Amino acid sequence: MNNSARLDFLKELANIGTGHATTALSQMLHGKLFRLVTPDAQMLPFEELAEYIGGLEQIVAGIFIVISGDVKGYMAFLMPYESALLLVELLTGEFDGEELGELERSALQEIGNIMITSYLNALSKMTGLLMIPSIPALAIDMAGAVWQSVLAGAEVTSDVTLIRTEFSAQGKAIEGNIIFLPDEEDFARVARILGLEAE
Amino acid sequence: MAKTVLITDDTAFMRMTLRNVIEKHGYEVVGEAGDGKEAVELYKELKPDMVTMDITMPRMDGITAIKEIMKIDPNAKIIVCSAMGQKPMVIEALSAGAKDFLVKPFDAERVVESLRKIGA
Repeated sequence: MNNSARLDFLKELANIGTGHATTALSQMLHGKLFRLVTPDAQMLPFEELAEYIGGLEQIVAGIFIVISGDVKGYMAFLMPYESALLLVELLTGEFDGEELGELERSALQEIGNIMITSYLNALSKMTGLLMIPSIPALAIDMAGAVWQSVLAGAEVTSDVTLIRTEFSAQGKAIEGNIIFLPDEEDFARVARILGLEAE
Repeated sequence: MAKTVLITDDTAFMRMTLRNVIEKHGYEVVGEAGDGKEAVELYKELKPDMVTMDITMPRMDGITAIKEIMKIDPNAKIIVCSAMGQKPMVIEALSAGAKDFLVKPFDAERVVESLRKIGA
């Protein structure tokens, strides 16, 4: 698949997946306003990714999932730490803004899980292929360290898909980034099924 | 007497959310399991009227746990609560014996509706 067709498809996926994920988050927040501002898809070399989403030094919360089934790969949901804290506060209703305890960490894990799985569910519906998410892993650290440690297992040979979304809740902006690293051959299969590439 | 429910989810946050919804509507949460293996053990011990079951969990996944529980009690009433709502997975869970499949996040009403329907 050429890059332009791939990007078009990813933008479509970003739209649909983000739509699902936004509905999901709104439900979790019990009617607190949670409006989607922009979904945007890009493809970037792996080395530029951390830089693009706020720099290697920035503290981020990352939730990572390994995908198995018909389409294999990795997916991650990354948020600046401030966005993560705000979400935790909105979700648990009683977080004091200090240290993240077990409950707060598990809330973040669940947000990441639901965000990522919403995309997978959307893609599964479009293709009929099964994409099984692993148990999500949560890491809170400098972006550089998070990349090093958690994504070390992913063999990245090509550009990485980045879907950037922005939400706002009660007047505050929340930034989230979905990173998709599908296995190349499996992704080509997805493209064929969706008619984006000739057999 | 209130119907009893066993909650199964690997995240503490989700267990808390479910407990709040379930208890608010007059059911009694008799136990919380953090994975499938614990759910099977607690099922034997507590014999709850209903079970909520996550799919993706450490040690033992929800599908395996459904099968194990159905072996112990073919009349077990299990409601799946999972973010993974893909058709093949839903079919697998239902054919393993689950009575309903709720895709996370769910609204409280949908959970209560399912408990009422399954628990009747």
